Amino acid sequence: MKKIVREYGVLIAFALLFLVNGVRHADVVLTPEFIRNLFNQNATIGLMAVGMTFVILTAGIDLSVGSLMAFSAAAGVTLLNKQTGPETQSIALAVLATLGTGTLAGLANGLVIAYGRVIPFVTTLIGLLAFRSLAMELGDGGEIRVQSTQAFQRIGQEGIPIGNLVITWPILFWIAISLLGSFLLNRTVWGRHVIAVGANEKAARYSGVNVNKVKVAAYAFAGLCVGVAGLSQAARLNSVSSGQMGLYGELDAIAAVVLGGTSLQGGAGRLWGTFVGVLLLGLINNMMVVEGISPELRGAVKGLIILAAVLLQRGKTP
Amino acid sequence: MIAARNLRMEFPGALALDGVSVAFAPGEVHGLIGENGAGKSTLLNILSGVLAPTGGTVEVDGQPLTFRSVREAESKGIAMIHQELNLVDTLTAAENISLGIEPRKGPFLDRVAVRERAQKALDSVGSDISPSDVVGDLPLAQRQLLEIAKAGARGARLVIMDEPTAVLTERETANLKTLIRKLKEQGIAIAYVSHRLDEVRELCDRVTVLRDGKLVGEFQNLTEDQMAEHMVGRPVSDLFPAKIAPDSEVRFSFKDLLEPTLKAPVNLEIRKGEIVGLGGLVGSGRTEVGEAIAGLRPCNCPKPQKVAYVSEDRKAIGLHLSLPIDENVILPTLRNLVTPRRTRDTAQAWKEPLNIKAGDLGAAVQTLSGGNQQKVALAKWLETQPELLILDEPTRGVDIGAKAEIYKIIVDLAQQGKSILLISSEMPELIGLCHRVLVMRERRVVGELEGDQITESALIRLAAGVRP
Repeated sequence: MKKIVREYGVLIAFALLFLVNGVRHADVVLTPEFIRNLFNQNATIGLMAVGMTFVILTAGIDLSVGSLMAFSAAAGVTLLNKQTGPETQSIALAVLATLGTGTLAGLANGLVIAYGRVIPFVTTLIGLLAFRSLAMELGDGGEIRVQSTQAFQRIGQEGIPIGNLVITWPILFWIAISLLGSFLLNRTVWGRHVIAVGANEKAARYSGVNVNKVKVAAYAFAGLCVGVAGLSQAARLNSVSSGQMGLYGELDAIAAVVLGGTSLQGGAGRLWGTFVGVLLLGLINNMMVVEGISPELRGAVKGLIILAAVLLQRGKTP
Repeated sequence: MIAARNLRMEFPGALALDGVSVAFAPGEVHGLIGENGAGKSTLLNILSGVLAPTGGTVEVDGQPLTFRSVREAESKGIAMIHQELNLVDTLTAAENISLGIEPRKGPFLDRVAVRERAQKALDSVGSDISPSDVVGDLPLAQRQLLEIAKAGARGARLVIMDEPTAVLTERETANLKTLIRKLKEQGIAIAYVSHRLDEVRELCDRVTVLRDGKLVGEFQNLTEDQMAEHMVGRPVSDLFPAKIAPDSEVRFSFKDLLEPTLKAPVNLEIRKGEIVGLGGLVGSGRTEVGEAIAGLRPCNCPKPQKVAYVSEDRKAIGLHLSLPIDENVILPTLRNLVTPRRTRDTAQAWKEPLNIKAGDLGAAVQTLSGGNQQKVALAKWLETQPELLILDEPTRGVDIGAKAEIYKIIVDLAQQGKSILLISSEMPELIGLCHRVLVMRERRVVGELEGDQITESALIRLAAGVRP
């Protein structure tokens, strides 16, 4: 019983909360729109959480993801607004710039951590400050609206219709990146090396694993995920708020990973857990709204629920 | 008198101790021996308050007690010196000795008393380290002394030593033996756990043997062979298989090999099917040579090809303890697409030839006994199809039964044409297995012995630098 709770705790918690919510507010909760919106609202955190899972699995941490999301989106939209060429080409460039900024910044994090031997907490704390500052510089401290084209926002707002519901591209990105991440983690040499490095770095090195490369790749992948999140959010709102976008996003992403059962010590975890963890966090947020809990109090309530979930899952103390 | 009465310990699915009684008399060294998994650790953990038994009691002066914590056991005079020493590296020796029992002056820490207590405790074990030395800077043997001093300062009446000599050089071991005799004179009881049966014979006044969680018996004046027989439950007829002559073809040749911490270049040739030993004291540079050849340290040697190094430190370096057995085995040979099927099959293929006793290959390596962990480490590196296998202390912390199996595996591998470099502190191993032995002292090779020349006295003379 204990084992089941530890293994599937996040799923059980999600199901229970959904059930309680469903019974109390059937008219709101038990609708396809509610579920679609749950996915839609949490896609950006979800995307960041996929990369965060890899980083945490290597026994690292990435505090820079929220700031980087704003910076990569700001870079993309700034470039987009400067384009005068054909619309498709402009948008393609903007997409590349957003994903590229995320990946390169993640790569830089990884290089400093692996080859510069600066601990992840400090390195990415610097990133948290620096990337936000760069984003604000690009946006003059305020908002960057997409002005040159009307088509860019379709990336964030349109999608594949199922019945009369539209499954938006950000949702599909999130699902796709999660599946890709799951494949990379479980079926590729790099993925297994991520686990080996996180479980015991020294033993991994003695087994012929190139520890530095594995780490750099993990942070770069996290950066790419952030880039996709930045793209999704910028397109959804058709603008980038340089000071607000992704603010505290790193905390939600880390919370989701931990809720999902990935060990902060590294070396043990799973991506489906992260996926459900993100949904659980989102559900808690929604529930607090429908229950009419004051916005000021929501942080405390959320904190308590996370604490309860983590306490349920924790292993025996050694 | 501290005694265990009829202890019973049930874990889910396993009976680790089944009605075990042992009494520790003051001023007596009491040996506890048994194969891995015989229940020694469980017994020690109960005595020292880590585990609460599911049956039976620990008696102190005839009074039955149940310890709810290590601290409670300590307060009743039972202290354990762990294999992995339990000291805080960043604190000083004095602070460690008083940790948790700090003397106070009103609400403040009494620093003078901390220092005096430490000096007294360190003097009593004959240690010359200063109370203000930071533990992390001390060599392992000094830390062990410190831990014993710490036990003394807490008024220990029973000191439990778990494999205390596993990490010590010969000279340090001799010092420890002197200290143990001194503790005896002070009327302290000592529970002595070791795989080194020669030490047990030399030091212990009586020996309790455990097997499969049961008490085999309490004995005096046992020979090493008799001890081994009691542990295994059958005569250990011959630990070492017969040597088979190697091929004449030199397969690996290292000329003037230099690694930064060595004091002289090393020359080493290994034939096909040959088992070459690398002897000497701990710290003489043996591991460095092995790691250099395997490409794990900077050196002027050729890029290693078909070389595998099985580390002496299974727990920290050799294996991923928290990961499944099969993932450990496949780690160095992961390629392309990883499938659970291939991972499982790869490990499965080694299970029978190496006789790895594991129910489920998906279980974490840390659930296995020392001997089986070592076999997993062997499987992991044999899977890379090496031609040269460097085995660094392959039987450290391994029980006698598994030892014999590992020896057989080594000889079989040589017979299949593999070259083997065997780094070992155990002289019987070097004598029983190797065709040739290079002996190191103070970071250089000081001699080479071949065939009948490989004797205990010749090895000691070279390793310690004594002229014949």
